[in-house]
Amino acid sequence: MRIVSAVLRTIRNSRRLATGLVILGILVLLALFSPLITKAIGGGQDPVELAAYDKWLMPGPGHLLGTDQFGRDVFAMVVKALAVSLQIGAIAGVISTVAGVIVAFVAGYKGGWIDNVLSTFTGILLVIPTFPLLIALSAYAKNVSLFQVGVMISIFSWPFAAKTIRSQVLSLRTRPYVDLARVSKARDLEIIVTELLPNLLPFIGVGFASSALGAIFGLVGLEIIGLGPGGVIDLGQIIFNAISTGALTLGAWPMFVVPIALLTLLFAALNMVNIGLEEVYNPRLRGVAGE
Amino acid sequence: MTAEAPPVATVDKPQEAAPSSGMRAWLSRHPLAAYAIRRLGLYVVELWGALTIAFFFFRLMPGDPIQTLIQTLQQNYVYNAQASAELIARYRHEFGLDGNILTQYLRYMEKLVLHGDLGPSLINYPTPAQTVILRSLPWTIGLLGISAVLAWVLGIIIGAIAGWRRGKLGSAIATNLSIALSHVPYFFVALILVYVFAYSMGVLPARSAYDSNLSPGFSLDFIGSVLKYGLLPGLSIVIIGTFSWILSTRMLMVPILGEDFLVYAEAKGLKGWRILTRYALRNCYLPQITAFGISLGFIFNGNVLVEQLFNYPGLGTTLVTAIQQLDFNTILGVTDMAIFSVLTAVLLLDLVLPLLDPRVKYWK
Repeated sequence: MRIVSAVLRTIRNSRRLATGLVILGILVLLALFSPLITKAIGGGQDPVELAAYDKWLMPGPGHLLGTDQFGRDVFAMVVKALAVSLQIGAIAGVISTVAGVIVAFVAGYKGGWIDNVLSTFTGILLVIPTFPLLIALSAYAKNVSLFQVGVMISIFSWPFAAKTIRSQVLSLRTRPYVDLARVSKARDLEIIVTELLPNLLPFIGVGFASSALGAIFGLVGLEIIGLGPGGVIDLGQIIFNAISTGALTLGAWPMFVVPIALLTLLFAALNMVNIGLEEVYNPRLRGVAGE
Repeated sequence: MTAEAPPVATVDKPQEAAPSSGMRAWLSRHPLAAYAIRRLGLYVVELWGALTIAFFFFRLMPGDPIQTLIQTLQQNYVYNAQASAELIARYRHEFGLDGNILTQYLRYMEKLVLHGDLGPSLINYPTPAQTVILRSLPWTIGLLGISAVLAWVLGIIIGAIAGWRRGKLGSAIATNLSIALSHVPYFFVALILVYVFAYSMGVLPARSAYDSNLSPGFSLDFIGSVLKYGLLPGLSIVIIGTFSWILSTRMLMVPILGEDFLVYAEAKGLKGWRILTRYALRNCYLPQITAFGISLGFIFNGNVLVEQLFNYPGLGTTLVTAIQQLDFNTILGVTDMAIFSVLTAVLLLDLVLPLLDPRVKYWK
């Protein structure tokens, strides 16, 4: 209960955080209602089936964003794909954050050689360029489920979360109240859960938002160069289709402008959450009123 | 910071005393040297670890590059009979794909470390992979390097002004735009730019790095063509890059602005511009140079997506082609170079920074 009220207070005090969360919320709602939206567009039939309508219809009252090369309704496709992109972000974000938190706590709290080994390993993973590895990994994964893609991508995003959180654990570990808890014979796990975790929530939030952002973009990048895993249609896939079918020359702008606009909005929202959280735990960064 | 370590106790075992305690005493007298040695050791370990992980990761990819090569050769009518087992074995050896994975790994590392040899490339057989990479390197360094420097300079100038004049409308707009757009991929901007300038208006080229009618050389025509073709991809990198540098500069500046020494400078009657550049921004130069050095290390990744979109003959395009054809030597070459440059950039900065900034202390 104490944690919930603290979280609410934080959000109320930071306009940026609130704005980011509201935009995220709207996008998530759009994704949640995607089945209903596609039903409404299709009017009884599936609007994203091949040859559901005529090819390359221009945007108009019947099709808000026109149709693609197979006569699929672009608006329905975009909404569906948004849901997929958000799911990937959520899956990879949760996995990376959990892995990052565990590694960070073990390393930062225990210190000594364990910390050295884990930190070196994290450092090694951070310098290997991610994108080529992702491309290579996608070669294994021709037919994978959404969840498997999420797991695949989170392999590369946890080191960043671990690094962010570890540096904070190190600074918190030496605070007097932690020493006090130690002296009073509290167990390690108890100290971590009751004393450290609440103070680390903003950092864990930053780790989650960054990992989710990285994962969504990782998949979009794979799709754009045509190497995405099969069976997953995210926003990147629609952009790839637009490029490869010549939508640019045909003037079918909604096909790539809308996915890009949605992703930009999503990245902007996640970044606002990040910066908002940073301002929360580092009050010196807060701008003056009116910004 | 911990207190001074207690002096090393004189060891009572005579045979152990000489080298180790002498060494240890010397190191405790020279903390900077001790730090440098430790840091170098870490560098070697990280470099070896990253190269090893990359090697095994790519080698375990499914598919057989030799079969791909043979098919390509057959398609080009180099020979039309079935490839003999002997021939396949020879190719395997040449590409370093014979023997079990451990032998392959040891041989690869030996070649790489002792001779800087990556082996032949598959995408341009029989050209060595390092030649293929070196051919595409100038394009990537030129395009990304120039754009990165431009973005950095612009970002620091605008960021400093935005921090300095905080609370003013223009600064608020710049700050909020940066927050919204600093994490947007370059590629998105590139695609919109291409659509507007290349397809709708038809004023700028959308593909390749120079006019195919010209031959590369130091002629005015060719250089002009390179600039013209590089404008759109470069612009997309500059736009987004500038936003992220604005953000970080502002974040470094805002906490300083209330400090006493700035009030004092103002009280002395110094002009605002001078206070900004000499006093406030001084605290941002070093961290920003550090960040820039690290970001330069990441240049070798090539911006894969942007290069793909423009069909730019840089590292990114080479990498994607190599991955599609399972050209291990070229893939690993690009990856190893990226790893090496990032780690080396960070190492140099870690070694130089304590000498430049008295507040930075890495050693206890």
